[in-house]
Amino acid sequence: MGSGAWSTNVYSAAKEYRTRTGKSAFAYSDTMSGTNRADWRVHDSLDPTQANIRESRDSDEHPTSQAISVIFDVTGSMGSIPRTLQTKLPGLFGLLLRKGYLAHPQIMFGGIGDATCDRVPLQVGQFESDNRMDDDLGNIFLEGGGGGQRTESYELAMYFMARHTSMDCLEKRGRRGYLFLLGDEMAYGHVKASEVRDIIGDDVTEDIPLTDIVAELRTKFEVYFIVPGNAYHGRDAAITKFWRSLFGQNVIVLDDLAAVCETIALTIGLNEEAIDLAEGLEHLTDVGFDSTDVVGKALAPLASSRSIAVTPDSLDAGGALDVPGKAQRL
Amino acid sequence: MNDEHVIVVDLGFGDAGKGTIVDWLCRDGERSAVVRFNGGAQAAHNVVTDDGRHHTFAQFGAGTFVRGVPTHLAHTVLVDPFALAGEAAHLESIGVGDVFDRLTIDERALITTPWHRAANHARELARGGNRHGSCGMGIGETARYALAHPDDAPTVGDCRHPKTLRRKLDAMRERLGTSDWAPDDDVPAHDVVDLPDVDDVLEVLGLFTDTVHIVDGGHIGGLLDRGPVVFEGAQGVLLDEWAGFHPYTTWSTTTTANALAILAEHGQRATRLGVVRTYTTRHGAGPIPTEDDSLTALLPEHHNGTGPWQGRFRVGHFDAVAHRYALAATGGVDALAVTHVDVVNTGDASVRQGICGEYRTDGGVPWAPVPPDGHDLDRQARLTETLTSITPVIHDAPETAEGWLDEASKLLNVPIAVASYGPTAAAKRRICG
Repeated sequence: MGSGAWSTNVYSAAKEYRTRTGKSAFAYSDTMSGTNRADWRVHDSLDPTQANIRESRDSDEHPTSQAISVIFDVTGSMGSIPRTLQTKLPGLFGLLLRKGYLAHPQIMFGGIGDATCDRVPLQVGQFESDNRMDDDLGNIFLEGGGGGQRTESYELAMYFMARHTSMDCLEKRGRRGYLFLLGDEMAYGHVKASEVRDIIGDDVTEDIPLTDIVAELRTKFEVYFIVPGNAYHGRDAAITKFWRSLFGQNVIVLDDLAAVCETIALTIGLNEEAIDLAEGLEHLTDVGFDSTDVVGKALAPLASSRSIAVTPDSLDAGGALDVPGKAQRL
Repeated sequence: MNDEHVIVVDLGFGDAGKGTIVDWLCRDGERSAVVRFNGGAQAAHNVVTDDGRHHTFAQFGAGTFVRGVPTHLAHTVLVDPFALAGEAAHLESIGVGDVFDRLTIDERALITTPWHRAANHARELARGGNRHGSCGMGIGETARYALAHPDDAPTVGDCRHPKTLRRKLDAMRERLGTSDWAPDDDVPAHDVVDLPDVDDVLEVLGLFTDTVHIVDGGHIGGLLDRGPVVFEGAQGVLLDEWAGFHPYTTWSTTTTANALAILAEHGQRATRLGVVRTYTTRHGAGPIPTEDDSLTALLPEHHNGTGPWQGRFRVGHFDAVAHRYALAATGGVDALAVTHVDVVNTGDASVRQGICGEYRTDGGVPWAPVPPDGHDLDRQARLTETLTSITPVIHDAPETAEGWLDEASKLLNVPIAVASYGPTAAAKRRICG
C-alpha cells in the first residue's frame, strides 16, 4: 500500500499482466508503432485495394457457408477488441458449431479508423473457415491511442462491404451475410468519393449519402451495430440514437466489451432461430463463459423485439410464455 | 518550440501541471515520443481530455492519450513493475488500449520492489511526527539501497535473467529490517510486516518482462533522431535531492540535469520549459513560506487528496522568490508554462490571491535563498531552518490574467510560452515561442 496513484499489490499486478498474454500476437502493430508515422500502412493481407472482392464460397468441406463479418473501430476505447476477439475466438466457434447455430460459419475481420486523419482508416481481411482468421487479427494495425473525435469512417467500411463482397450464402441460397459493426463514435454523413478513390481504388465521382449506402448494404447483410454501454464520455445516448436511426433494434448496447464474442454468437443463434435468449445464456455457461449477466442484458431488447414481432396466434399457449424470465422463442 | 526537443520541469514542489503541458505539447502531432528521465511511480501527472476522460500518469508518459505517442523510461527512472500493471489497466478502461505496445524501458533502470516499499513505510513510521513527506512508494529506498549495494540492486535488465534476479531479491529480503539494508542508516531497524513471497514477486517480474519492451541504452538515440521528443520531468526542482530544502526532498534529480546529460550524449539540444502554477502548492511536509490556509478553500484541488504517507495538499501564494531559487538551481529555463491562470482572482472577493516578490528576515532585511554549490546537505538543512523564520512580503496580484502573466514573467525574468486556463489541451493558449 503506497499513496501513489496506482495499486502496487503483487497479486493484482500478476493478474493484470496475465490478462495480456495475447499481446505479442499483434506483432505487425508492434513493429509499425516503432516506425515513423509517415511509414504506417495497412498490412498486405488486410489492404482494401488488394484482392478487391472478398469472397465467401462453398466448398466440399463447407457446403453451406455462411458469411459473418466483424468490423471494429480500432481507435479509442475499442482498441482492446482485437485482443478480446483473439482470446475468445475458439469459444465463439465452439458456440456456433457445437451448439448448432450454424454449420459452416466463415468469418472475416476488419478495422475502421478515421479517413480524415488516420494513416490506416480501413483494414479488411478475408472470409475464413479456420484459424487463418487469427492471422488476419494479428495483422491488424492498432493505430489508435485515444483521441476523442466524435466520428470515424464507418461509412467507408459499409461501402466496401456493400460493393466488394460476393457470398454464396446470398447468391446461391438467398441468405444474407451477417455484419457486426463495433464502435463508439458516429459515421460521417456521406461516403466521400475522394476517400473511396484513395483508399479502396474505385473510380467513384460522387459522394454517396450515408442512408443510401446503408440501404444498399442491408440488401446483402443483416447488420448489427454493437456500441459499448459503459462509455466513458457520457455521450453514449447520442451515439446509440444515431445508430438506432440507421439500424433500429439491431443496435446492441454492451456494457462489457470483453463479452463481444459471446454476444455475436448469441445474436446469430437468435436470428437463426436456433435458440431463445435463455437457452443461449445456458449455452454460455456450458462453454465456460461467465458473462451471462452482461450478455443477457445486452440482448434482452433484441430478444423481446423478436418475440413481439410474432402474432399471438402463432404462439404456443402455455408454452415458453409461462416460464418466468425466459425470453420468447420464435 | 515546434521542431525542437523540449524538457518540461516543475519550478515548485511538484503538482504544477507538467502532465497537462506535456499532453498539450504532444497534441500538435509533431512530438514523436515522451521520455521520462527522473523519479518513478510516485509521479502523479493528471491529464483530462477534451471528452472528459481523466488519468493520473505515473509511469506512462503524459502524452499517452495522443494516438501513437510512445513513452520511453530512461535509465535514470526508478521503475515500479507492480504499479505499472494497474496504471495500464486504467488506461485501457478509458480507451487507451495499446499502452504496452508504446512503452520502452532502458534495461539499466532500477526497479522498485515491495521490499523497498516496506523499508520506506518502516522508516516513515519510525520518524513519527517528523515525516519527510514521502509518497510511500519506496522510491527513496530504491535509490538508498542501490547506493549501499550497487551490485545487488535489481534492474529492469535483471528481470530477463531469473537466476540473477532471484539472487538479488533473496539478498534484499535478508537485509530488510537489519542495519545491513543501508549502512549509514539514520533510522533503526524496524519490524516490517505483510510481505509477499519472493516467488510471487518473481512471477510478476517475469510477466512484466514478457509484456514490456526492454531496450538497451542505444534506443534513446534512435528516438531523438526520429523527431522532437518531450522530456517529462517528475516532481519539482524545489524537491531536488541536493538543491531542495533538506530533509524534505526526494531521492531524485528533479532539475533538467538528467535530460540535458542524455541529450548531450547524443549531441542534441532542447528548449527548457519551466512550469509554475499561479499559486504555490506542496503535497506533504516541508517548508512552504507563502502558505495560506484561506487559499485552500478558494482553490479546490481535484486530483490531489490526502495520502496516508504523504499527508495533505497545502496551498500558498505565488512565490517568485522560491521560483527564482528553482531557476538558479536548474540553471535557468528558456520559457515558462503557467497553469491555473483561469483561477486568478475569480473566487471569493474577500480572499485575494497574492504574489510574493521578496522575503524579509526578522530584522526586516531583504533575504533570498541561494542554491548550493555542490552537495552539502547540512547547508541545505540550515537553509530549511532559515525559511521557517523569514516573512514573505505578499502584495495583491493584478486583477486580470493578462496583468498577472505580465508581472510573473517580469518577476522571474523569463518569457511565457504557454498559459493554461483549464485541465484540457483546448484550454491552453500559446503566448510566444
